[in-house]
This record gives sequence, C-alpha cells and structure tokens, in this order.
Amino acid sequence: MRRTVATKVEPDAAASGRPLPDDRLTEILYFLKLARYFDERMEALYRQGRLPGAIYSGRGQEGTHVGVAYALEPEDSLFPTHRDLTAQLTKGLDLNRVMAQFWGRIDGYLRGRDGNSHIGDWYGHRTYAVMSHLPIAYPVACGAALAYQRAGSGHIAMAICGDGATSNGRWHEALNTSAVFRLPVVWVVNNNQFAYSTPNAKEFAVPTIAERGAAYGIPGIRVDGTDVLEVYGVAREAVERARRGDGPTLIEAVSLRWRGHAGHDPAKYVPRELLEHYMLSKDPVKNFEQYLKDQGVVTDEDVAEIQARVEREFEEGHEYALASPFPEPGDVTKGWWVEDGYWVGEPGRGGGTEAS
Amino acid sequence: MTSIQMPQLGETIVEGTILKWLKREGDAVARDEPLFEISTDKVDTEVPSPVAGTVTKILVDEGATVPVGTALMEISEAGGAASGDAASGGAASSSASGAAPSSDAVAAPSTGAASSEGSSAAPPAAPVAPAAPVAPAAPAVAPAVAAVATMPDRGPRSQILSPLVRRLAKEHDLDLAQIAGTGSGGRITKADVMAVISSGGQVASATAGATAPATAPAQPMPAPSAGIGEEIVPVSHIRRAIAEHMLASTQTSARAWTMVEVNVDHLVKLRERIKATFQDRYGVKITYLPMVVRATVDALLEYPDVNARLDGDNIVRHRFVNMGIAVSYDAGLIVPVIKGADGMNTIGVARAIADLAARARSHQLRPDEVQGATFTITNPGPYGSVASVPIINQPNVGILSFDAIVKRPVVIDDAIAIRSMVNISMSWDHRVIDGELATRFLARVKENLETWDFAEDLGV
Amino acid sequence: MATQQVEAGAAGHGAEPRGKRGEDGQATYLIAIAEALWEEMERDDRVFMLGEDIGVYGGAFKVTEGFIDRFGPERVMDTPIAEETIVGMSVGAAMEGLRPVAEFQYADFMSSGFDEITTVLSRYHYRAGVPLPVVLRGPSGGGVRASSFHSINPEPWYAYAGGIKIMCPAFPSDAKGLLKSAIRDDNPSLFLEHKWIYRRIKEQVSEDPELLVPIGSADVKREGSDVSIITYGAMVHKALEAADALARRGISAEIVDLRTVYPLDEETILRSIEKTSRALVLYESYRFLGIGTEVAAVIAEKAFEHLDAPVVRLAPPNVPVPFSPPLEDAFLPQIADIEAAVDRLAGW
Repeated sequence: MRRTVATKVEPDAAASGRPLPDDRLTEILYFLKLARYFDERMEALYRQGRLPGAIYSGRGQEGTHVGVAYALEPEDSLFPTHRDLTAQLTKGLDLNRVMAQFWGRIDGYLRGRDGNSHIGDWYGHRTYAVMSHLPIAYPVACGAALAYQRAGSGHIAMAICGDGATSNGRWHEALNTSAVFRLPVVWVVNNNQFAYSTPNAKEFAVPTIAERGAAYGIPGIRVDGTDVLEVYGVAREAVERARRGDGPTLIEAVSLRWRGHAGHDPAKYVPRELLEHYMLSKDPVKNFEQYLKDQGVVTDEDVAEIQARVEREFEEGHEYALASPFPEPGDVTKGWWVEDGYWVGEPGRGGGTEAS
Repeated sequence: MTSIQMPQLGETIVEGTILKWLKREGDAVARDEPLFEISTDKVDTEVPSPVAGTVTKILVDEGATVPVGTALMEISEAGGAASGDAASGGAASSSASGAAPSSDAVAAPSTGAASSEGSSAAPPAAPVAPAAPVAPAAPAVAPAVAAVATMPDRGPRSQILSPLVRRLAKEHDLDLAQIAGTGSGGRITKADVMAVISSGGQVASATAGATAPATAPAQPMPAPSAGIGEEIVPVSHIRRAIAEHMLASTQTSARAWTMVEVNVDHLVKLRERIKATFQDRYGVKITYLPMVVRATVDALLEYPDVNARLDGDNIVRHRFVNMGIAVSYDAGLIVPVIKGADGMNTIGVARAIADLAARARSHQLRPDEVQGATFTITNPGPYGSVASVPIINQPNVGILSFDAIVKRPVVIDDAIAIRSMVNISMSWDHRVIDGELATRFLARVKENLETWDFAEDLGV
Repeated sequence: MATQQVEAGAAGHGAEPRGKRGEDGQATYLIAIAEALWEEMERDDRVFMLGEDIGVYGGAFKVTEGFIDRFGPERVMDTPIAEETIVGMSVGAAMEGLRPVAEFQYADFMSSGFDEITTVLSRYHYRAGVPLPVVLRGPSGGGVRASSFHSINPEPWYAYAGGIKIMCPAFPSDAKGLLKSAIRDDNPSLFLEHKWIYRRIKEQVSEDPELLVPIGSADVKREGSDVSIITYGAMVHKALEAADALARRGISAEIVDLRTVYPLDEETILRSIEKTSRALVLYESYRFLGIGTEVAAVIAEKAFEHLDAPVVRLAPPNVPVPFSPPLEDAFLPQIADIEAAVDRLAGW
C-alpha cells in the first residue's frame, strides 16, 4: 500500500511539544556544540598546517547529523559519509580515537589504513567505515537491513548521503531494492544545496529529492535540516516504521553548507545572501541552544559548562592523537586475509565468523 | 683432418638425407662455404663448412639417408698439420680435445628449423672463435668454469648459454667449449649438458644418438605409488644415462663372448714379494689390473681390429690405445680413460689407474677424461665373480673382463697341481670381428700374462 | 571435444534441466557445482544465495534448479537487475553475520558492480578488520559463440583489486571442493565457472560433503619432463589434448592446473619448472596483464637458473571476444597453437 508523499515543510510539527526529557535534550545540545567546536577547531588546525590530510566541514548541518543519529538505538547500523562525522560522534564513537585517525596513528579506528573522516567502528558502534565513492554504502545498508529482516531482530539500518549522490545509479538501485524487499532501512539525504560547486538545480530536474521516493513506492519527507528536533522527530518516525516492518523511508533534510566542500575550497559559488541568511537565522546550534534556554531546560552556566567540556575533550583528543604511535611500516601488507590475524585483538573485534 | 658428420637439426631428428654435394673431392673450401644440401623431417638446408681447407674424402653418396652423426666427408685443413692421432702418444693427462676421432669429430653446425639463416650465416659476434677443436697440439685444459669467450663457433646459436646450462656447467665443473650443442642452431641444451654429466663422458655423441633413444626426450612418467613392502627410489640422472647407454649398446653391437683361463700363479707370488717395496717407491698400490692392462695393450696393437670402431661402412682402427677402466663409485658406474696407454710401462699404468679411480670417486674427473676410449677393461674380480659378460662400451669393438683370482686344481704334465687361476673374458662385436680373431686376441693376452716377467717392468 | 560444436543453449540460457549424477558416480561440472551449493546450504543456515532469476526460474544455467523448493525464497533470493546492489547487499549481510553467495548471470555482468567489488568488497577487511565471507560466482569464458558480453574472463580485473580469492577450476571434483572451501572461507571469493566446461566435462565426483579442495593450491594434472604448461580453466582440457598429440611425437608435457589464480601457488609452479626447464604459460584472458603475465614474471624471477628456454605466454589478443566462428577460433588458443608453442620451446 503506498503512503502519501509529504513535500511541504512543516516547521512547527515537531518543535511544538517537548518530544524528549530534559536530560536527553541537554545531551543533544552537547552533541551539537561538540560538532560545532570540532568543526571550527579542525579547520583552524588545517589552515595552520597542523592537520594532515583533508577536512570536510559539516558546519551548518549539525541539525541533520545529530538529529538523525540520535534517533538510532545502539544496535542499529549507520552508513555515513565523510561529512557527517558528527553523526558518528553522536552514535557514540570515542573522540580520542577519531582524532588519532586524523593523525594516522595506530589508535585510530582504522589503524592508519585510512584517514580523515573515513572512519567507522563496526563492532563498537555499528558504523560503516566511510568511503569516498558516493553513495557506495547505500547498497551495503540494504545488506545489513536484509540480515535484520531475516533474523527478525528489529534492528534497522540508516544511510546518509548528500544531494549530489542522489544522481548516482547506486542511489536508485538501493532505494528500489529496499522497496522491493521492504527492508528495514532509513534513507537520509543531507541536502546542503551544493554538491561541491554544483547547486541543486544542476544536479536534478525535480524540485525536491523527497518526491523521488514516489518513484520507488516509498514515502519521502522533506524537513528543515537546521532544526534538530524536527529532524529527530521525522527520523524517529522513519526508524519506527522500519522497525515495525513497514519498509523504508526517504528523508530529505535541507540546510546549507557553510564552508567549502573541503578545507581547500573557498566556496565562492554559494550566493552571499543565502549564506548570510543561513548563518544568521538558521544556525542549528545557536537556535537549539536558545530554544533550550527559552524552555528553561538549560541555564547560561549549563551552556558554559557544556562548552568547557567540549573544549576540554577536544584538547584531550588532540593530545591523545599526537601521543599515539604510528603503525609499524612492516605491517603494511598485513590484514588482507582474515587468517593472518592482524585485526584480531583489536578492541571489540571478534575476528573471523567461521573459522576463528 | 676434420670429419664432417650428419648434423642433428632438431632434438627429435635421427637421420638426414644428402640431397646434393656442393663440393667434390679435391675442391678447396672456405670457412662457412656451403658443403652440401641435406633434408630432414623438419628442414631442407645447406650446411656450411666449419673450417677452411680441401675436401679429401666424400664418404656418402648423394641421395643416401644416414643416421645423425655419420661421417659424410673429410676436409684437411689449410695449414693445419697432423691427423687426429698426433696427440695420441702424449702424456696420459693430455686433454687434447680432438685427439680421439671416435668422439670429437666436429659435427657440422646445425641450423635450427626456426632460424632460416641459410648457408652463409655469420656466426654471432663471439669474442674469440678458435680454430676447430681438432687441433694438432694438445691445448691446455680450458678452465673448468664455462667461459663464453673461449666458446668455439659451432653454429649461429652456439654462443647462447641458457641460465640453466650456465649453472649446471658451473656446478659440475664442465668446460662448455668441449660440448657440442645439439639444440637449434648449435645451442648447448640442458640435454647436452646432462648427457655429459650423467654418463661421465660416455660417448653419448652423435653416433650413439643415432641409434639410441638417449637424445630423445624421456617418456612421460606416471606418478609412482608404493605398494605394501615396496619403496620408491627416483632414478638419478646418472642412472638414467647409464641405462640408456647400456640399452643402446646391446641394441647396437652383435655381441658375442669368449673366455680363457689364465694361470697367474707367478704374478700372485710376484705381487706378494714386491708390494711393499712398490708402495714405498712409487706411492701407489700395485694390483693385477695394471699388468692386465699392459698385457692387453700389447694384444690390441697386435690385433688392431679389436682396437677399432665401426663407422658406417668403415672399420676405423686406432694405432694407439686409450684404455677405458670401468670404475664403480657411489653414483653408479663411470669409465675414466688412460690416454695413450700404449706408451706407458706398468708403473705408469698403475699410477694412472690410481689417479683416475681416486678422482672418479671424488667426482673430479674432467669431461675429456671420460671420453675417447678405444678399448675397455672391467675388473669385477675384487667383488668375487669368476666370470662376467660385460656390455660393450660403445663405440668400442670389445670389452675385457678380468675376474677373481682363485686357487684351483689344474692339470700340469698329467699331474694335479694347485695354481692361482683367473678367467679373462671378452664381450666383442661380431659385426666387426669373428670368433677366431677374438679367441686369438684373448690367447695373446693370456700368453702375455703367463710368460712375461713383470718384475722388470715394475722396477723392482 | 571440438570447439566447433555449438551446444544448443550453451551460449544462452540453457532451457534443458540440470541433470543428475550418474549411477556410476560420474557428475558434470554443472552438477558438481550445484551439489556444492546444496551441501553448504544444508550445512549452515547462514549461507544464502541471491541473484537474478535464480529462485523460481532455477538460474539461467540451471545451477539452482530445485533450490527454492527446498530452501525457500529468503535463502534463494531473486533480485532486481542491480549488480552494484547485489554485491553491496552481500557485503552488508556478511557484516551482520550471514554468508551470502551471489550469482551473476554471466561473469560479464560483474563489471556492473565493479565499484562495490573493487572498492568495498576487496578493501573493507584491510581497512577496518570486518571479515566479509562473500562468494561471487558466475559463468565465465568463451569458445561457445556467445560473443564479447557473454564470454569474458574477468579474473585479471578483480585479481588487481586484491583481497578477493579467485578460483577457476577446470574439473568437476575441483569445482565442488573449491566452491565449498570458498563458502566456508571468511574472505571474499570470486568463483568463476567456465561455461564451456559446464556440461562437457564429467568425472567421478565424491559424495562426501566434507571433502574440500584447498584454496590457493595448484594441481599437476599430467606429469611430464620436457615442457611445463601452466594453465587454468577450459585451457587445461585443450592442453591435455595437445599433450597427447605431443607425446606421440616424443615430447613429454607436464600440465599444471592452477585452480586458484589469486593467490598463486608459486611452489607448485616453480617445482614443475625445476623439473622441465621450459615454461609455456597458457591462459584465456587477454594476453596483456592476464594472470599468465604474473605467472611468467614469477617464473622468470624465481626460476631463472632452471630455465633452458625463454618463458613463453600463449593467450588471446587484446580484442573483445568476437562472435563469428572463424573469428572466435582465431581469437582463442587452439590445440594446434599449443602444440606449435611447445614444439618451439622444446626445440629452442
């Protein structure tokens, strides 16, 4: 039975009530502030030449990243991209190990085998290690969802990609397949309106991404990606749908990418007025902080405390990363085959599935 | 004198046909000039001359089909002296590579089927291409390690040494310059090197190749499996080469056998008397074998048909004696050769035997030391046999077996006496000689052994 | 075994049933593969199959005929035509503890999932330590007049990706034992079934469900002493015929069937070269950058001092597999070509 497609943004739907208890709202604020601070500081380090590799800023989109990830249970799996590292932090990854990853140290989640935000912690927090080809993880999310469906475990898979990735054949294959098999999966598109330098109008010919869900027979919802609670509400609904066995949902969360595609990109292609509008009135962190203060959930002192915690954790992470050793050069060829045992003993890893 | 033989143009070729002689007897010929046209299974081609000189003899008619290795013509070199037997009287340690015509005649360079370089193929730029190996003077022994710089030019690809060939030559101390390649274009192949190594220089040359499957590739071997009470021992290269040679020999010669009884009582007594002194004076043990060799050499010179080989339609008699002595060692059987045994006294023979046997057992013989025998003696006596029927060492006409000396009752002047007796027998090739000759020859050996006073010859 | 014969349905979808093993214990390559799949599905509930037309239809080549009735549509999944997703889904399912076996209707269509195979499947364990016990399988190879989209030998593309064990068996017993090993192995595998062999080759195949053939082991299919022919897939059968003809002419060829093309069993290859001193590397993928190129390099590097002749490769030219019979026959190495190559080597 087909669900109706919602194409309108309903800004007040989720924001009107208190969908969560205070401590959880506060926790969301912590994640938002962590996300913002992390983004700003990493960019600074990059510009100072102290951060190797690349950074992909998620600034301005924290509402989407934190909102969708916060709707997941620990056993649900998340298939993120390079830009939504903060979604992984929200899911519970250890900031220290995330930082070690950026500096290519052995304590990074991928032990130096990949870098930057190509992070994942499958056995710890069920997140898929990010890959550059987009949306290459979408079909993999179908597989995890298939396993949950067969096991009847009630877990779900959630995958995030950007607006640009929706042009890729894989995106369509995955949505179609998930619909055919009614898989327990949530498809999230972080539409920050620019795919590198390509605006939406040059990326697809339909007005919204959400309405493409109809082509696959799945519901598509479009939300304001800068409103974390709205995003959370919609995501939560989609997650519950999937868990019930009602199949996949497509969520289009609209925001704006404040910074360039990557650290090197000055993003002069973003129209100045649009950027100013979003930065001034659609800042997800500032707006939510203000909302919580207005609702009496937090005081100024609480906010300051959260900020201090975030800053402290970041510095600790940075130190941890710099103190962590580099991987052994001789290990470069290890870990190809399961049987060489390189990955066994990594915290939380059980090794092979059959033989070991 | 250079003997031109039917070349082997390809590993599986066993014979060739003379299509046309391009030179007649008496013609002068320059190096690389075409001598004749031949046809084989694989190719029709002109064969160029390896030397400059004059054609002295054409041995095969046009249109004739002969086995690989058959002598086709003889060329006497311009300015080159002497025939092949010039080196024969030299010291035993002479390593004249061309001294024994039996095995070292130069095969005309082979041209591979794949390379159609024709008759005027210029040899590849080899650093030094010495004159054909049938040199009058005995050259110094080439260094054991293969040196491309001294490789003779035996064809357009004779200078190409594969990694395997190089390694084997180095490991076995072979002089690659002494090995004629049967591969395409004259290349020395694995099979060529293995043949030298494993047969210890048995004449596994073209003549044997014509009749024996030795140069043919081995048959596929099925995977062995041991039954109950069985043990599988893979055949070594040497064993295989011995097997091939022995089989080829029995298929080549029309073998007959004759035996005589020899009274060596006085030799036994002589040896008993002198052995200590001999050892002190000359540093080697005196056994009966050197005496038998001396006795046999004399008989061979007296009956040269026994000191010969069959070459197509010709019996080639040697006017010198290179005596092959069969030696048993850890890897099997090897036959080192006392070159110029006819020029030695018994002391010299004793020394030569001791030296060759020792070096045979320590795997130190050079390829030329296991080639060129004109007659062979085997001595299974020390192991206890009283009569043996040995297999002829190709291309000899006979092989003499000297068995155990045993005290026996014999009749002398109608009375019974105890004497040390030994059976001396010979397997001989009935294609070349007949029973009367063979018996006379043995009778002569017997007479020598029974009547000679060896004491003088032994210097004691 | 003339390649001139075009078996009806060999190039396209075989409409005839899979067939059964004979009472004498003989089974075709096709049946042996089906038996391997069936036995492993019975043995381990986590094993499941996915692919196009494998369920209700029983598979384009009838490998999975009858499977859906026994194992149900969840374990014998018919998928949409979405190769990237077939591979990606296999990865995701494997990450969550299942053991998927994905069928590609023709190995040629694996390239439609190239990114998921070479970027995700091949690399994930190296990067992040999660085992991916995924098997990709499908019919490969030519000689059946099926032209370039149904005749590919794709093993070089995926060998280059690394991290995936690639098998190309030539005989039914090897196929059965290897596929079982692949399914039980915790690493990704690519199991290429040469379609020419499917119904043409049969032999005694064991019924023991625990009989496995180790991955990464080559097998000497014929002992010889003059030349080693290192080969795999359908070319093994051509080499065996050529070897018979060569033996009649006194040349003894040893045939080494690689069975697994990545990783290579270097020890067996080198041992053969040490014995014969001559190597002919025979393979069906394009000559340039084929598996045989790697084999030749290994021989030249590690057996140099055992070589009495250069290492020679014999493989098709780098053109798409043509359709018209004289063109395809000229494209593929034939028995006469193999004999000629061995002759040249033996007489070098």
